[in-house]
Amino acid sequence: MDKISVYRFLSAGCNACDVEVLECLAPRYGLASLGVEVVEEPEKANVLILTGAGTVKGREALLEVYEKINPPKIVIAVGNCSITKNIFDKGYPIIGPLNKLIPVNYYIPGCPPRPQAIIKAVADILGVKIEEREEWWQTPEGFRGRHEIDREKCIGCGACAQICTADAIEVIDGPEKRIIKVNYVHCTFCAFCQDECPTKALKLTGAYHLLTNDLQKARVENEVNLLTCAICGGTFFPEKQIDWALKRIVEEKAPIYRDFSSEILDAVKICTNCRRSVESIKKAKRLLTKLSEKARATVLRK
Amino acid sequence: MPEKVYIGPYRPQLVEPERFELLVEGDRIIDAKMELGYMHRGIEKLFTTRTYMQNLALAERICGICSGVHTLCYAQTVERLMGVDVPERARYLRCIYMELERLHSHYLWFGILAHSLHEHEIFAKIMGEREIIQDLFEYLTGNRINYAINTIGGVRRDITPEKAEKIRKVLKTLRSLSDYIMSLLDDNGVLTKKTKGVGVLPRDKAIEVGAVGPVLRASGVTSDVRKDDPYAAYDKLNFEVIVEKDGDLRAKSLVRARETYESMKIIEQALDNLPSGDIAAKPGEPKVGEEIGRTEAPRGELIYYIKSNGTNIPERVKVRTPSYANNFAILAMLRGEYLKNARAVIESIDPCFACTDRVVVVDARTGVRRIMNLK
Repeated sequence: MDKISVYRFLSAGCNACDVEVLECLAPRYGLASLGVEVVEEPEKANVLILTGAGTVKGREALLEVYEKINPPKIVIAVGNCSITKNIFDKGYPIIGPLNKLIPVNYYIPGCPPRPQAIIKAVADILGVKIEEREEWWQTPEGFRGRHEIDREKCIGCGACAQICTADAIEVIDGPEKRIIKVNYVHCTFCAFCQDECPTKALKLTGAYHLLTNDLQKARVENEVNLLTCAICGGTFFPEKQIDWALKRIVEEKAPIYRDFSSEILDAVKICTNCRRSVESIKKAKRLLTKLSEKARATVLRK
Repeated sequence: MPEKVYIGPYRPQLVEPERFELLVEGDRIIDAKMELGYMHRGIEKLFTTRTYMQNLALAERICGICSGVHTLCYAQTVERLMGVDVPERARYLRCIYMELERLHSHYLWFGILAHSLHEHEIFAKIMGEREIIQDLFEYLTGNRINYAINTIGGVRRDITPEKAEKIRKVLKTLRSLSDYIMSLLDDNGVLTKKTKGVGVLPRDKAIEVGAVGPVLRASGVTSDVRKDDPYAAYDKLNFEVIVEKDGDLRAKSLVRARETYESMKIIEQALDNLPSGDIAAKPGEPKVGEEIGRTEAPRGELIYYIKSNGTNIPERVKVRTPSYANNFAILAMLRGEYLKNARAVIESIDPCFACTDRVVVVDARTGVRRIMNLK
């Protein structure tokens, strides 16, 4: 392709991605120097850039614009809304993801992607190399880019999935393992998961060049082993989470119970169903009595 | 014989999809109608399906340009519902972040104004120079546009002395950009010729159509939520409300250009007087009841209404965005205007249709048609 003429189509997003695409035209980023121009009519374009999640009202216009684009009709979805609907997933007028309506060739994830990410993506698509001499190609410390899970630290508690603002994080319990799946093309990069993670295992890194043409690969995963119930043998809870919780109880929150750590461990290793059996309730009551006696003795000694 | 001219919806001449129907006689516009809804995403419904914390990210995505002030207004309203006392330092930090946002929004507007007046050199210069403020946001908050900086009870990232130094440095550069814009708007400036007398909104009309923010202030009305109903730390900071009398596009430009200096003044004062302490308080339980919060967004007064039933999910959230209020000003200004100026007039209110469209369908049942076809 000698010349790339881009037509922008914004269909119900927050605007940020569209502003970033415009920003790429600024001399600093030099989209024009890659031989790219932005045109105002779809008839003159051969590349379509989509932003936004797509609404009922814009559907006809989108199909019409796609018809008018000249070959080779390359379609690039910029931003997570156009890729997966992102935070607007369950909105009633939203008809996306747009790849259901028209074929999409490339995806540039981000919320919004940095202009640097868009430029790099365009360069990759064209097969051109760009020099990253200036400082602004680097991400500053604390940049919220693609996630990374520390496999050693992650205890599989699922707090990240609970707080997630856009349902990007899934917790899938298998027969033996629990999978924490961060679907970063469905993410708002708000970093609440990072703040919420009790062991600081989940981090947002400086990785921002996330161009892909296969959405199945656009995820970060971690597996944790599930604990088997001491009575029935079924799986119910991540092993590491139990260890972490027990350590927190006997070391940080209530060091006076340290002598009982093995008994507490026995009590929590029973799945929710078995905990309701008569025997388990009796056992738990005996343990609680012991614990409260110990607590009372400690208080009296003081 | 009048003829009809359509602008939009999907024309990249406008930044966002919106459809205007202009009735033209000769080269004058005699009537204007507008059709909204191309950006409607059902956000108010989505608000009632998420927790108060999760809604912060949603409020941010109502608009990608004034994203920070949306979360601030939302957070302040929720804080009132929860009875959270925001630490003093967080209040000052909020002012700094919000004024930086006002700067970037106003500069973006100047860029788009120059573009719509076919001044492509000015457009390129402003868009290029305003990049440093986006870089600053990335450095301070971790993202260029959706900063996710406000949280219920305060802010999420602190400003360390090194960061403060960097902000001061950036402000120095921005001051020269503001000077450049002011030079374009002085009596012989390039933009003055193209904006003087265009899209006049007289004072009475501005009040009648319910305009807000810079559009209202350019018509000679003193109105600014930061002064009238101070929030964050604005009651402790010294600044001036900029008012111009003419009501034309030049007055609107001047208001915004002079406001950038005030914003810089606010940021510098806040940095000088930054109190020590926590940057966020712990959120509490929402009480049963309703609250209203308002802030001064770059485009004008932004209002949030939240009704709580005591659970962690709001029962109703209503947002009145400034662009919605200003849309009626567009129609008033378009009547009697030359057709060649139509685009500049539409851009003159700094329209943010991402904001507006969330609102319009809520009103649909009560008769959007009637509202749209202003007599």
